[in-house]
Amino acid sequence: MKRIILIVFCAFGILGDVQAQELSVEEIVRKANAVAYYSGEDGLSDVKMTIIDSQERERIREFRIMRFDVQDGGDQKFYVYFKKPADVSKMVYMVWKHLGADDDRWLYLPALDLVKRIAASDKRSSFVGSHFVYEDVSGRNIEADEHIIDETTERFYKLKNVPKDISGLEFAYYMIWVDKVNFLPMRAEYYDNENKLIRSIEALEVEDIQGHPTVKKSVARDLNRGGKTVMEFSNVQYDVGLTENIFAERYLRKAPIEWLK
Amino acid sequence: MIKRSIIYSLNHPKTIVGFSIFFLIFALTQLSRIEIDTDPENMLPADAPVRIFHHQTKEEFSLYDFIVLGIVNEKNVDGVFNPGTLKIIYDLTEEIKKVDGVIAHEIVAPSTKDNIEQADLGSVRFQWLMEEPPSTQEQALKIRDEAMDHPMFKGSVVSDDGKALALYIPLARKDISYEVANEIRKITQRYSGDEDYYITGLPVAEDQFGVEMFKQMAVSAPLAGLIIFLLMLFFFRSVKLVVAPMIVAVLTVILTMGLLIGLGYPVHIMSSMIPIFLMPIAVLDSVHILSEFFDKYKQFNDRKKTIVFVLDELFKPMLFTSLTSAVGFFSLSFSPIPPVQVFGVFVAVGVMLAWVLTILLIPAYIMLLNEKSFKDFGHTSKEGESHFIDKMLTGVREACLKHFKLILAVTVCLVIVSVYGISHIRVNDNPVRWFSLNHPIRIADRILNAHFSGTYEAYLVLEARNTKDEVFMHPDMLKYVEKLQTELIRSPYVGKTTSLADIVKKVYYELLGGDKVNNVIPTTKAAVAQSLISFENSHKPDDLWHLTTPDYSKVNIWLQLKSGDNKDMSEVVDFVDTYIKGNPPPLMLKYNWAGLSYINVVWQNNMVMGMLRNFLGSFVIVFFMMIFLFRSLIKAVISMIPLTVTILFIYSLLGFVGKDYDMPVAVLSALTLGLSIDFAIHFIQRSIEVQHKQRDWQKTIVEMFKGPGRAIVRNALVVAIGFLPLLAAPLIPYKTVGFFMFMIMSVSSVATLMIIPAIISVNPKKFFMCKNGGGK
Repeated sequence: MKRIILIVFCAFGILGDVQAQELSVEEIVRKANAVAYYSGEDGLSDVKMTIIDSQERERIREFRIMRFDVQDGGDQKFYVYFKKPADVSKMVYMVWKHLGADDDRWLYLPALDLVKRIAASDKRSSFVGSHFVYEDVSGRNIEADEHIIDETTERFYKLKNVPKDISGLEFAYYMIWVDKVNFLPMRAEYYDNENKLIRSIEALEVEDIQGHPTVKKSVARDLNRGGKTVMEFSNVQYDVGLTENIFAERYLRKAPIEWLK
Repeated sequence: MIKRSIIYSLNHPKTIVGFSIFFLIFALTQLSRIEIDTDPENMLPADAPVRIFHHQTKEEFSLYDFIVLGIVNEKNVDGVFNPGTLKIIYDLTEEIKKVDGVIAHEIVAPSTKDNIEQADLGSVRFQWLMEEPPSTQEQALKIRDEAMDHPMFKGSVVSDDGKALALYIPLARKDISYEVANEIRKITQRYSGDEDYYITGLPVAEDQFGVEMFKQMAVSAPLAGLIIFLLMLFFFRSVKLVVAPMIVAVLTVILTMGLLIGLGYPVHIMSSMIPIFLMPIAVLDSVHILSEFFDKYKQFNDRKKTIVFVLDELFKPMLFTSLTSAVGFFSLSFSPIPPVQVFGVFVAVGVMLAWVLTILLIPAYIMLLNEKSFKDFGHTSKEGESHFIDKMLTGVREACLKHFKLILAVTVCLVIVSVYGISHIRVNDNPVRWFSLNHPIRIADRILNAHFSGTYEAYLVLEARNTKDEVFMHPDMLKYVEKLQTELIRSPYVGKTTSLADIVKKVYYELLGGDKVNNVIPTTKAAVAQSLISFENSHKPDDLWHLTTPDYSKVNIWLQLKSGDNKDMSEVVDFVDTYIKGNPPPLMLKYNWAGLSYINVVWQNNMVMGMLRNFLGSFVIVFFMMIFLFRSLIKAVISMIPLTVTILFIYSLLGFVGKDYDMPVAVLSALTLGLSIDFAIHFIQRSIEVQHKQRDWQKTIVEMFKGPGRAIVRNALVVAIGFLPLLAAPLIPYKTVGFFMFMIMSVSSVATLMIIPAIISVNPKKFFMCKNGGGK
């Protein structure tokens, strides 16, 4: 079913601007959200994250991320299994993303033999020390912002997104550049209430995998302090047949080995 | 040659004045290029290892110089932890973020820092300590309890009594701290309520001192000048005449400062003191000339003859008093402290300039005056003050002749007591203490250090010797750091320490459910690593990099000291040296200090030892100059006695009173040396000349206690009293200068007028028999 939708999307792209221009902002946002976070029924990827601070000091983290869509465009489950550095290998981070409510999050720390729930009222905290925040990884609820088409260029829809509730946010609004052809968000810029650019995320490499436009490399930059994090995705696969049951607390201590090779 | 130029100046006074005006205008044009440097860090050369390490540490650990803003609420039972005060603190933080020069994203405040806390269903939560101002008292108290339970906040952001909260406001540059502090003051003034606001921190103290120092300079130097002018007017009764030394003083100051600025030197705290040092020196010689001129004029009734006579008498002592002062200051150029070098060289130049101006400009000036101006000269000297001074001088003279043994015995006792006092001198400095006790900076310092664990910071950086990665993730190393911290807290000077170990412990026990039993370093490296990666899930993972490097090869222990006294910081340094020596770490470590408190210690040590060496060096040089001047070892030794007594006496007072030997005191030793010898030179040189004519000590001493004696007393009074208003200055170094000027003048004049004649009286024949270069 989803593939059909995708083909339709592609058709839109190929058919060109005539149809595109008639899209409403809500449709663009919905499509962009679907392309960025809901490709396939499920997906997995190996991720190499290079955190580079303002003094060019590097740290590397490697993990496998698995995703299962409970409902297309709706609730999702994520399972993040750490491989490197050695001291944190086998550490697991699991999220049940709920659209209408707070997410559920767990952390498994093997060295402490501890499964810990993490209160997830705030999604703007750092993802394991990187310049990405949790919301960048799991997706921000599209209902949380008002969206306006700021500009339509040859390649992009430039959208301005203003949060409905600014409490707990480090930004006042953000701009997104959505590719007109494949609807992949290619760039995001976050501004504070003085209109100063404080943070940006950019897709550096995009590849078509199993018919899904897929970001292979992206970078998040902290423009206040300096520093950036580069995420490189490899071994990206969609519709591998992940089952919902492995996204459960009991699979934290006993990782589903068959999906981690 | 020089005498010929004096004669020339007498014959061509207008040319001399013309040249002076030309140089004055030139110097004035240079003044506009002034560049001000108020950073005490520049007491060390830019490439001093401690400065390099300090800046490297600041960069490596993203540390900033910061202003501490304390908010105190003594009226509310829960102190600052009520919705009203917390709302103010929240709003203040937001406003301060916008102040120019503030590194907004590094402000330490309840609303900008993350907390790890227990939440529902046995979960942990990473949340801003105060995401928004609380609306109820319970919420306010919860913020307090969370903060008290966090090693990053307790004692530094919140006071243990809950009455006070501190914001740490990092600055882009240290030299804007005064401006930023003023901006913050303006902001706090807009809030009314039970809260009091205090601003402190070494950068503000240092920067504000610089600013106030220059203001004070603009008040003090002219004020001292005015009083000196009035006193001279009182002695010499002629505005026209008294204007001359003032012109010499002002010219000396402007020409010297013009030269300094023109040559491209920034005006540092030290060099801003140049005018106040040059003023008395410039006036001294002129007062000798005027005093003699005033007394002798009635003999000649001709200004030219009088001035030629006076200059002939005074030329040699004036040259040597100027040379000795110049030597005293020039010796500072060998000090290891760049601003002190500049200060020393330019005061020395100024001293010699003052001498040239005195012998050229004063005669020229007198020649330009109408002869009638001197009509009533000499008559007035029989009345009023002169009468009093003469009476006093006669008394002293009689005492010297009759009770010289007693005087000498008292002198010896005084010296012994002084040496005892000097042995109690305590070397110490603290930029905050440069302000007087009731200055807002001092008040803030007292109040905030009473509430918090200390507003002075130092950084102890530990580094693995064989840079192995992740050394400080090893539980053994963290436990070693933890133990070192425990020991440091036991020493009386350290209020609080914060390190990576504290963060690891905090995260670890919160992860394990919040039970303090688990407030320990985990037992495996993996457990440490996983606790740390959990911490990195917060809003401010970068806070970790203030305490360690991303490869965990170094840790930075942040020390908060309650006192900015260098001696206390030195104690801490010694303590750590001893501890690490006695308790070797599990892996070989290098360690080093950074932070302004530590930098101050280093330059203080340089300064004290440097100054002492310079002082001893110039003491010896002055002694050789005396041998050269008097061509007699005995006379040279005797000439050094009043100076030695003066210095011993003044510095012993520091020991007895308990005043610290600090930077101003150290620098003043050069002035003490240069000025204290002056009266002795005048007295001995003149005695030799008088004895040459009189050939009888009894007659010589009578004459000596007239003209020369009067000149000494007038000089002493003019300068001593002229600088007394400095005692009311709000800055301690100014008080110190005022006190020293007063003491140098009074003690050395008394010492000269009593000890030298007393010694001569022991055996006048032997004293004058010695081969000497006196007379012409």
